[in-house]
Amino acid sequence: MSWKRSRDELDKRRRWAEAQGGAANVERQHAQGRLTIRERIDGLVDAGSFQEIGKLTGAEAYVGAALKHVTPAPYVMGLAEINGRPVAVGGEDFTVRGGTTARLDKRKGGQGGFVEDLAHQYRIPLVNLIDGAGGSVTSAKSRGHTVFPGVDSFDRSIDLMGEVPVVCAVLGSAAGGPAGRAILSHWSVMVKDTSQIFAAGPAVVERSLGQKLTKEELGGSAVAVDKAGSIDNLAESEEHCFELIQQFLSYMPQNVWELPPTVSSDDPVDRCEDALGSIVPEERRRAYDMRRLIDLIVDTGSRFDVQPRFGKALITCLARLDGRVVGIIANNPMVYGGAMDGPAARKQVRFIEMCENFHIPLVFLVDVPGFMVGLQAEEAGVLRDGMRAVYVASQATVPVITLVIRKCYGMAGMATCHKRGLEYRLAWPSAEWGSLPIEGGVAVAYRREIAAAPDPKRRERELEEELREYSSPMRAAAAFGVEDMLDPRETRPYLCRLVKLAQSRLGTDLGPKPKIGVRP
Amino acid sequence: MAKEEIQSEVTGTVWKIESKVGDKVSDGDTLMILESMKMEIPVISTEDGTITEILVKEEDPVAEGQAVVVIELD
Repeated sequence: MSWKRSRDELDKRRRWAEAQGGAANVERQHAQGRLTIRERIDGLVDAGSFQEIGKLTGAEAYVGAALKHVTPAPYVMGLAEINGRPVAVGGEDFTVRGGTTARLDKRKGGQGGFVEDLAHQYRIPLVNLIDGAGGSVTSAKSRGHTVFPGVDSFDRSIDLMGEVPVVCAVLGSAAGGPAGRAILSHWSVMVKDTSQIFAAGPAVVERSLGQKLTKEELGGSAVAVDKAGSIDNLAESEEHCFELIQQFLSYMPQNVWELPPTVSSDDPVDRCEDALGSIVPEERRRAYDMRRLIDLIVDTGSRFDVQPRFGKALITCLARLDGRVVGIIANNPMVYGGAMDGPAARKQVRFIEMCENFHIPLVFLVDVPGFMVGLQAEEAGVLRDGMRAVYVASQATVPVITLVIRKCYGMAGMATCHKRGLEYRLAWPSAEWGSLPIEGGVAVAYRREIAAAPDPKRRERELEEELREYSSPMRAAAAFGVEDMLDPRETRPYLCRLVKLAQSRLGTDLGPKPKIGVRP
Repeated sequence: MAKEEIQSEVTGTVWKIESKVGDKVSDGDTLMILESMKMEIPVISTEDGTITEILVKEEDPVAEGQAVVVIELD
């Protein structure tokens, strides 16, 4: 065959690429409990589906005119399939110079770059497998000048947020640019113990503030996932991380011009669980397990929790009803009685915006006593966070179904309804609502009367009893103040029907959604 | 046989223990009730099995994620 020498050289260059940063560096990566970028891609995508792009990139070493070696560029990317659907995938190769930037004619990925352009051009999801430390001051020495921030712009990464699903997995220590890149995603995940994320790592922190912290203390999942909520989900291992990415993408459309995929469900639409009839305790102070309630309603095994470890007074999950994707927002009575604090409000905003972006109808399962009260909450800005949730709900255009399970009070309750849309509100017999709960509300409204009574405590209780008479949801239903009451057991067939109904509307509203105004 | 720890979802105090060592329990059963933020928070079994250990007593403080009951799985 002709061109043999060239073809041999191509083979050789490909083998150098596959050797990554050399056996010693690969071994070091494994010793840290981490996979290499090539193993990660293999673990994530359908077997044999990875079509690498830019495999020959790297730093060539010549002796005279003879090529001795090519050290591959520290970024691997290309086209692949996950569950038969195309994705653009890429990640830093930490075994090559710690995944720092390569000097190429154009970027392969990581912050803009070809892989992001690929996702944009073909309108396919982007998966970033992040394992890099960002910029280094040493580049100034080699360039002869310092680089202005933004020379590698985030513009493409930002535009993608309105076009295609973007998933970022933090799989090593991410600081600077790679850390910022992780945040520009619709959903992000990190791995327990082996990944950390921070604006700047321990050395910079110690120099700046004198704080001595380990990587894990500064940016491990206990900080980034549980406290800050800057990364959405936690995986137990890299393999678990890949499973979570596959699951998340299974709910997503390929882009905002398409509907999310519907699967065939073998869970009967008319499955009416008796357990729903008694899941809400009659004792008003008694909490119950909202996740269990959700599981009794949605297609078996279809609940995927987003941000389960942050803002725990709220549950946000993707699920399916008769195979169709829904976004469920449910208050969690186990945590602060479900009151909306800053983190819960931010979680609600982020989730609504994602569902709005990808044409996923929303179901609210409401049990919210209101915004969180108290000095701590006020100092943390609960009013602004909470009103942002109201604002974003008001601007949503996807169909919204509001089902009141128990409490629906105040402005936090308002954030669960869609007045600008159909305002289709349903309630279980356990539902109650108002501008504020009777407990506390009575003390404010009847302060003088209570103070003047011979037994103020008793008078307060009497007034509370009197007002509670009016709080039956049936009375509101009679006034059409709520659109319908459901026997809890009827919930699944009812919601399945509405979500099926929503498909035509969703299908006529496809495309990017412009945002108007200034969020509070 | 495999054992599973049931953990508290919240920080609070133990109010009422509604189960005892040796009880057969199923997924969904209430094992004890905690008090947190003036709400009664049930600790619910996530497994089918037999209680082999109850790690707290009434009025004990508990932390989020703390194991409170050990169940031997069926």
